[in-house]
Amino acid sequence: MATDTSSSETKTSKLEQTNPDYNPNIVIEAQNLTKIYRDFWGRQKVRALNALDLEVKKGEIFGLLGPNGSGKSTTIKLLLGLLFPTSGRAVVFGENATEVTKNERIGYLPEESYLYKFLTAEETLDFYGRLFDMPSEVRKERVQKLIQQVGLGHAKRRQLREYSKGMTRRIGLAQALINDPDLVLLDEPTSGLDPLGTREMKDMILKLRDEGKTVVMCSHLLGDVQDVCDRIAILYQGDLKELGRVDSLLQVSDETSIRAKNLPAAAQEEIREVIKKHGGDVIGVENPKSTLEELFLQIVRESEQRPGQRVSGSDS
Amino acid sequence: MVLENFPTFSEWFLPGLVLFGGIVLAAILLGLFVGYVVASFRHGPFEAFYIVAQVVGESVPDFLGTSPRRVMAMARLAVKEALRRKVVIVAFVIFAILLLFGQWFMGGTENPEKRFMNTIMFGTQLLTLLTVMLISSFSLPEDIKNKTIYTIVTKPVRATEIILGRILGFGFLGTVLLALMGLISFFFVSRNLDHTHAVVGDTQTIASLTAIAPGTEISETTGKRVSPNAVMEGETNVELGHSHRLEVLEFTTDSDDDPNLKAPDIVSVEDVDGKKVFRRLVCLPVGGHTHQVTVSGTGNDAKISLGPAIGYFRARIPVYADSVTFLNRDGQQDEGTNVGKESSYRGFIDGGNARQRSSLARAIFSYSDFTPDRFQNADVIPLEMTLGVFRTYKGDMQKRVTGGLQFESVPDNPEVENRFVSEIVNFETNEYQLQIRPVSRKVIGKIVAPDGSFVAEGEYDLFDDFAANGKLNLSLSCRDVNQYLGVARADVYFRASDDVYWFNYLKGYVGIWCQMMIIIAMAVAFSTFLGTPIVMLGVLMMMVVGFFTPFIRGLTAADRDGGGPIESFIRIVTQKNMQVNLETGVATTLIKESDNFVSHRMGDLTYLAPNFKQLDFSSFLTYGYSIDNQRILVALAITLAFCIGLTLLGYFSLKTREIAK
Repeated sequence: MATDTSSSETKTSKLEQTNPDYNPNIVIEAQNLTKIYRDFWGRQKVRALNALDLEVKKGEIFGLLGPNGSGKSTTIKLLLGLLFPTSGRAVVFGENATEVTKNERIGYLPEESYLYKFLTAEETLDFYGRLFDMPSEVRKERVQKLIQQVGLGHAKRRQLREYSKGMTRRIGLAQALINDPDLVLLDEPTSGLDPLGTREMKDMILKLRDEGKTVVMCSHLLGDVQDVCDRIAILYQGDLKELGRVDSLLQVSDETSIRAKNLPAAAQEEIREVIKKHGGDVIGVENPKSTLEELFLQIVRESEQRPGQRVSGSDS
Repeated sequence: MVLENFPTFSEWFLPGLVLFGGIVLAAILLGLFVGYVVASFRHGPFEAFYIVAQVVGESVPDFLGTSPRRVMAMARLAVKEALRRKVVIVAFVIFAILLLFGQWFMGGTENPEKRFMNTIMFGTQLLTLLTVMLISSFSLPEDIKNKTIYTIVTKPVRATEIILGRILGFGFLGTVLLALMGLISFFFVSRNLDHTHAVVGDTQTIASLTAIAPGTEISETTGKRVSPNAVMEGETNVELGHSHRLEVLEFTTDSDDDPNLKAPDIVSVEDVDGKKVFRRLVCLPVGGHTHQVTVSGTGNDAKISLGPAIGYFRARIPVYADSVTFLNRDGQQDEGTNVGKESSYRGFIDGGNARQRSSLARAIFSYSDFTPDRFQNADVIPLEMTLGVFRTYKGDMQKRVTGGLQFESVPDNPEVENRFVSEIVNFETNEYQLQIRPVSRKVIGKIVAPDGSFVAEGEYDLFDDFAANGKLNLSLSCRDVNQYLGVARADVYFRASDDVYWFNYLKGYVGIWCQMMIIIAMAVAFSTFLGTPIVMLGVLMMMVVGFFTPFIRGLTAADRDGGGPIESFIRIVTQKNMQVNLETGVATTLIKESDNFVSHRMGDLTYLAPNFKQLDFSSFLTYGYSIDNQRILVALAITLAFCIGLTLLGYFSLKTREIAK
C-alpha cells in the first residue's frame, strides 16, 4: 500500500499548491449547509438540514448523533456528493463535495451494505479495487488482506446473497477500506451486528484512528458513539443542537466518583463520615455492575476456549 | 430487391458530420437552456448560472479523466449482472426453439434459401434487439432503486465510466449472443439447403428420360418450355419443395480437344461429317440453384446421379450503370413509358406496333468506368437482368417476350471519332425472371463514322475497342410488337466476381450489430433519468420510428395534400376537403409558412431517431448480393455518432442527478 500512501501525499501537496485556503488538518468542512427536499413542482416538502456549520479534524473519530430523521444520513450524503446542497457548501479535503476526485481518499459504508448480491466477496472487493484504478498485483494483495481482516476467509467464494446480515456488514466495511482511505464515513456501522460483531466493529474503528485515519460515523446507538467517538455533534430535526468532545460533554462537574478494590465495610463507613464532614452528600456506595455487553463477550470468549461446557460462574 | 444509388463513404461523411455536429450543438444549447431554467427555479438566476457553469466546467476533466480500467470494471459488472439475470439464456432458448420448429414452416418454396435467410435474419434481429433492450433498460434503474449505485458513485468513478461501461458490457454480451446466433444459423441454413434429387422413374438411368420430337416448343408431357437444342427430357423428385427439369441438350464442336467433351454429364459423342456431335444432360436451375449431373456408363443404362446444390450462398458484386436514359418510339429522350402501374420505379420500353414496327424505344445504360480489372480480365462477363414485362395482348402466356441487347462505344469527341456498334443480340424473358447472359469479350459489330457511314465490320474487343476510354453504352430494346419491357437502373448489371460468402454474411450481421449498439446506448442513456418501464417504452417507440423512418419523414413533409398541422386543423374545422384550395390571402400565406416551419422542425426531429432501414442488410443476404463496404462504413459511422450523442446525454443526465434523492 506504499504506492497509495505516496499518491495521497502527492494529492495533498497538489491541493495545498492550488488552494491556498486549504488547511490539511481540517478534513471536512460544512458551511451553512442546508438541504430542503422538494416535490416535483419545487414545493418544499421537508427541511432535512438547516444551516449546519461543522469542522472535522484530521485523525479524530467524529460522531453524528440524533434520532431518526434528524439529518445525520443527509449530512453524510451531502458530504459524499450523493445529494446536492440547497444552499451552503460541503467541502472535503479542500474540494467541493460533488468533485469526483476527492473520492480517491474516501471510504464509505452505507447504512445497509448496498452491494451486488450476485458477486462473491472476492469479486466484490476486486471490482471496487478496479474502480480505484489499482494495478492487478496491488489489488489482489489488498483483497486477500481485507478478507482476512474482516474475518470472511471461510466465505470468500460465496455469493453475497448467501451472507448473513453481519457478514454483509463486514464485507461492506472491507469495500470501504479497499483504497486505504484517509477518511472513512460510516453510516450506522453497528446496525444489524451481534454484540460480538459490534465490539469488533468498534475495535476496528479505534484501530483506524490509530492508523491516523479520520472517521465520521453516524448512529442512534448512544452507547456505540460514547465508546468510540472523540467528538460528537447532536442533530435534532435538521438543527445542530450540541457539538464538542465526548468526555467534556458527558462530564458531571458537581459529582465525584471514587473506585477502589477490596475495601472492607469499616473503611467504607469511614469514607462516608469524611464526605459528611466536608459537607458533601453521599448519593450511594455500592458494588459496581458490569455491563451486559461485557458479560456477553466474556461468555463468548470462554465458550470459544472450552467448547461444549457451560461457562462456570455464569449463574452466580 | 431494389438497390438504390448509394453514396460512397467519403461523399456521405462530410454532410453526415455537419448534420451530426448540428444536432449535437442544438442538443447542447437546448440542454444548457433547460438546465439553466430548472436551476433558476430552484436556486435563483445568479446561482443557476454558477451551477450550469460548474457542470460544464467539471465535464471536461471528467471526460479526460475517464479511465479504461474503470470502464472495463463497469463493463465486466454489466456482463455478470446480465448473465445472472438469465435473459440472454432465455433469448437463446427461444432462438433454438425457433430453429427447431421453424424448419417445418420454411420449406415448400422454389427458393428455400430466400425464405430461410429471411426468417433467420428477422428472428435474430428481433430477438437480439429485444434482449439487449431488456437487459440494458433494467440495469441502471435497478442500481438506483437498490442503492447499489451509492457504493459506485462514492468511488472515483465518472459518470462517463458508468455509461460507457454499461454500453460496452451489454454490447459485448450482445455481440457474443449475435455471433452465436449467426454461427448456428449459418450451419442450420447450410445443412437444411444441402440436398440432392433422384430422377423420377423406375431406374436412375437415361432410360427414365423421354425423347422430344424435333421442333417442340412446349413439352407435351410436362407442359413446360423446351430448350431449342433439347432432345430428351425428364424430371427430378421433389426435395425442399421443388423439383428440377432435366434436359439432354445436343451440341456440335469442330475440335476434338473441346473441354466440354470431358464434362461428367456427357451422355454420348458421335462423329457426324467430321464434326463432333455430343449430348449433355443438364439440370435446369430453380430458385437460383442447380445440381451437377454425372452420367456414368453408356447407352440407356448409363446411371444418372445429381450432386449437391450449386448456386446457393452467393454474394454477387453487381456493376451497375451510372445512369439509365430512355428513348421513346421516335428516338426522343423521355422517362420510359408509364404502363399505368402505381410504381414509377421501372420505365417501360415500347416494342412498337403494327404500323411502326421498328421502334426506336430503348433504355440506354451508361457506364463510365467499364474496365477489365473490375472483372478480373475475364473473357466472359455475366450480364444479369430481371425485367418487368407488360403485355398488351395475352396470346400464349408461356411464350416469353423477346428483347434485344446492343453495345455501343461512347467516343470522347463524337464529331471526329468513329463509333463501335455491336450486333443486336436477342434474348427471351418472362416477367421478373432472372436472366443470366454470358457476354463474351469478343463482340461482332461494326465501326460507324461520325456522319453515320459504315467504315468496317468484324470481331472487336469489348474492353479494348468498345470501352477503350472506359465508357460504354448498353441499350436494351423490346423486340416484340405491342409488348413492353420494364426496367430500372438496378435491374441490369454485369456481375463481377462474387464476394466471399461468409464475409458477406458477417457484413449482414454487422448491420444488426449496429442496430443493437444503438438500442443499448439509447436504453442506458434513457435509464439515467427514467424508470425501467418508461425506458422500454421509449426505446420501443424509437425502434418503431427507426424501422419506419421513410414513412415518418414523409408524414412531416409540408407539401402533402391537406397541408401541415395548422392547415389540416383549419380544413377539419371548416370542413374543406384536401383538394380544395384555401382562399389566397395573408392568413393563408401565414398558415402555410407556419406549417412549413413546423414541418421542417418536425422533419429535423426525425433525425434524432436512428434510421434502422439504413442499417438493415438482411435483404442483401436474402437475395444474394454482396454488401458494399461503403454501406458498412456508413452504418458504423452512424452507430458511432449515436453512441457518442447518447453517451453525452447519459453523462449530463447522471451528473446533474441527485443519486440519493
